[in-house]
Amino acid sequence: MAEENLEELEALEAASDEDAQKGKYMTFQIGEECYGIAISYVNEIINNIPAIAAVPEVDDYIKGLINIRGKIVPVVDVKVRFGQEPFEYTDRTCVIVIDVKSTMVGLIVEKVAEVITVDEKEIIPPPSLNQTSNGKEKYVFGLVRVGEDVKLLLNPERLIGDEALD
Amino acid sequence: MAEDFNMENMLDIFLYESSQLLESLENTVLEKKDEDCFDEPAIDEIFRAMHTIKGSSAIMMYENITKVSHKLEDIFYYIRESHPDNVPHLELVEHVLDVSDFITGELDKIRDGGDPDGDESGIVEELDEFLTQIKSGIEKAGEELPPENKYEEPSQFYIAPAGGGSVKYYKASIYFREDTEMSNIRAYTSVYALKEIVDDMEYMPDDIISNENSADTIIEDGFHMLIKCKHSREEIIDAIGDTSGMERVEVNECSQKEFEMGFHEPDQEPIVIELDDKEKEKKEEKKIKTEPVPGDYVVKGKETGKGKKLAKNQSKSGPKQSYISVNIEKMDSLMDMIGELVIAEAVVLQNPDLKVPGLDLTNFQKAASQLSKITTELQDVIMSMRMMPLTNTFQKMNRIVFDVSRKLGKDIGLDVIGENTEVDKNIIEHISDPLMHLIRNSVDHGIESKEERIAAGKNPRGKITLQAKNEGGKVYVIVKDDGKGLNKHVIYEKAKKNGLVGDRPITDFTDKEIYQFITYPGFSTKEQVTEYSGRGVGMDVVVKNIQAIGGKLEIDSIEGAGSEMTLKIPLTLAIINGIVMLVGNSTFVIETNAIKEFVRFSKEMLVREPGGEEYMMLRGECYPFIRLNQRFHLAPPETAEGGDGEEGIVVVLEHEDEFICVYIDELIGEQEIVVKPIPSYIKKVQGLSGCTQLGDGSIALILDIAGLISGNERR
Amino acid sequence: MKILLAEDDFASRKFMVNYLEKYGECDITVDGEEAVDAFIMALEDGEPYDLVCLDVMMPVIDGYQALKAIRDIEKDHGIAGDDRVKIIMTTALNEERNVKKAFEMGCTVYCGKPIDVEKFQMILKKLELIK
Repeated sequence: MAEENLEELEALEAASDEDAQKGKYMTFQIGEECYGIAISYVNEIINNIPAIAAVPEVDDYIKGLINIRGKIVPVVDVKVRFGQEPFEYTDRTCVIVIDVKSTMVGLIVEKVAEVITVDEKEIIPPPSLNQTSNGKEKYVFGLVRVGEDVKLLLNPERLIGDEALD
Repeated sequence: MAEDFNMENMLDIFLYESSQLLESLENTVLEKKDEDCFDEPAIDEIFRAMHTIKGSSAIMMYENITKVSHKLEDIFYYIRESHPDNVPHLELVEHVLDVSDFITGELDKIRDGGDPDGDESGIVEELDEFLTQIKSGIEKAGEELPPENKYEEPSQFYIAPAGGGSVKYYKASIYFREDTEMSNIRAYTSVYALKEIVDDMEYMPDDIISNENSADTIIEDGFHMLIKCKHSREEIIDAIGDTSGMERVEVNECSQKEFEMGFHEPDQEPIVIELDDKEKEKKEEKKIKTEPVPGDYVVKGKETGKGKKLAKNQSKSGPKQSYISVNIEKMDSLMDMIGELVIAEAVVLQNPDLKVPGLDLTNFQKAASQLSKITTELQDVIMSMRMMPLTNTFQKMNRIVFDVSRKLGKDIGLDVIGENTEVDKNIIEHISDPLMHLIRNSVDHGIESKEERIAAGKNPRGKITLQAKNEGGKVYVIVKDDGKGLNKHVIYEKAKKNGLVGDRPITDFTDKEIYQFITYPGFSTKEQVTEYSGRGVGMDVVVKNIQAIGGKLEIDSIEGAGSEMTLKIPLTLAIINGIVMLVGNSTFVIETNAIKEFVRFSKEMLVREPGGEEYMMLRGECYPFIRLNQRFHLAPPETAEGGDGEEGIVVVLEHEDEFICVYIDELIGEQEIVVKPIPSYIKKVQGLSGCTQLGDGSIALILDIAGLISGNERR
Repeated sequence: MKILLAEDDFASRKFMVNYLEKYGECDITVDGEEAVDAFIMALEDGEPYDLVCLDVMMPVIDGYQALKAIRDIEKDHGIAGDDRVKIIMTTALNEERNVKKAFEMGCTVYCGKPIDVEKFQMILKKLELIK
């Protein structure tokens, strides 16, 4: 386990208290962009991507099933979900396991970054929401500036939601 | 107080006994409903059941139950004493069922922690009228009325504890800010407030009043309580209140065991029973095993902070019984654990560490086979524990036929065959509703009205047969009626209108295929939806529920002579024997029972249609042939050049007399498979019924043979 | 009416006293032995109790012992039938065998804790202790 990840896990644990979770986001890298997801959704982070059992005839962004200590959890490639080119899974590739309304889903991301604290007032809505857009825009509910960077905050319900329901 | 007394609780026993009486009463009544009158044993049974319920409900002060049961008892007392011959039997049957329903409803309310507040006056009035009516016959005849059935109020009463809820156990902790003064006294304020609502509690430190230093301990380690009460977590938090200085309050439910463990190490637990010698101990033991004895509940030197300790421990258990009731949750968790055990066993026995060349595994293999034997037996035992006869489910159907047919003015008898057939408890839960629906359908739509039946030259009394049987590892539940049957032309037209058949003519379909259309959503041939079937819930829901447990609904019918609905369901769901195999990079499992044979693949056996379909010639027979990688659009297997497959194996699968050949790359072996559902996030894939975890932790997909076959036909 | 309450737990006692006081004079004891003493004393003074409420779990002697003692004393004094004092057992022990035993020993009402006040009141009416 990389050391930076250890720290994140500690941060995760420390943040397990309801209040402490407020405004905290787990950020991760996909392509050039950095995304954030509210930490209250995050169950755990798996560093070495486990063997994935492919499931036939599902949407291409659903990569299959993984086994987390006896629990069978579907995994989603976030990059493919955003309509971008798939990437090759490496040592850095992580699975962020999130729990959205009791649905457990693993998100495959290129690299987990850090936990950031965001003041709700600093969140700005995404500039233009193109309704027909098939890309990542529709999963982003807000932007936040951290230093020089801009992080895109994701709505996890949409992210794992059914295309048809949108 | 080291025992779980839940089963012996006064209220629970009242509920249990009354429900049992009512259930058996209802069965008796339904059994005799078609006769001219109740025979003596039946009258006796109903009379005694009502008498018992009347008495116990009076002690429990459930007055409406007492009144209703008393009234019905009166009627049966009269019938028993003077044998009137003018009793309208069916009316009486209905009255008994009404009373039974009323009391059952009230019992349910009590069970849910509510008050039995149903209004009994209507029923009592009806019963009164009925009694007057049957009495009038005898008065006219100038005979003497038997002495009144006197009711004596009980002289002793039982008041069930308020709230009615079951006892819960909690662990609670209060943490104070560092600068809080007299935290011990503040903590005790909470203890005091809690005393009002708890049945029993313990706290730590336990010397908070006598020892001022305990304040420091509390600040440092927090103040901890173990609580036994019937209140919710929120109510406890409320009672603890919000004294200044409190930083945080934690209240969590805990097990009874944790409560009883207390804050002490087991070996430090104060020994309360002090007995002189072993003989006395034996004597004592015998005594407390039967019933409480005065002096059992003397509180010995109650110490602060500790729960009440009694002079004697409660007895262990009553007399030996051949049956015990087990909480279903415990059974389920045992089932889960055995499932995990089976997986763990596979992890050990197939461990890659064992594959080091040159290892002598003779002893290991011996031990391993012993282990396998035990786990297999263990599974058999838990499975047999979960098997329940369909008797209860079938008896419910009796009631439905009676109710619905009476309301529709039809005369229908129900024949029940094979109700002792046993199936897994989970499956019973799942077939009850679909079965009810099928029965209602038969009563409502299947069986014609009396006039129609007479016109058609049939017996005016309709007949529904409900049958269960065990065959080939499956359970068949059959609902058969001698009604008008299904009209395939009407169904075909309707299917056409709904766009289900395209341009294909009716001759293109077998009868069974046409009947299957009624299981499609929104398909009801009856124009008018009646109260008892339809209601928007159609056969599609039945089929969906049956499919959810791996079952199938088959429909057969002869127009004018009746229809037959057959549910084919698996005996059990949880653990199956499966063959693990590789296709491309994916691992699949096929249930061993479905496999006819394995054949080494050779190109010569393959026949290709111009349309691209492939068939397999085997000993002169022609079978459909599918490649899982193509069927499921997976990466082509590396061993088969261009997907032609040379090295592979063909598995011949059978389901319901239909065969299909499936091409696989490699066989891995047979093992026990713990079936897990595919997470609902992934939409249902036809041809897959679940997934499982293999010994090495990887995941395999379980093939659904029926889905594969029907999916192949549709292509 | 004259009431005797035997209850060792302060909070329960406070609750019961608050409730019973409106119906009459309420004597309080904190263990089973005192309860029996109080019962004898009242009997000898010619002012017997109309209602006795006994907790089951109590120090010195428990509710069952007190119940038996009271019924025995009555027998000794030739008090029988409806003239006997009404005894309500109040306890968190709700197992059937406990209830049956208490009934066998002559308790009038067996009342589970926490007490269902509404029903308690109904019983008092039924027993014609209050109107």
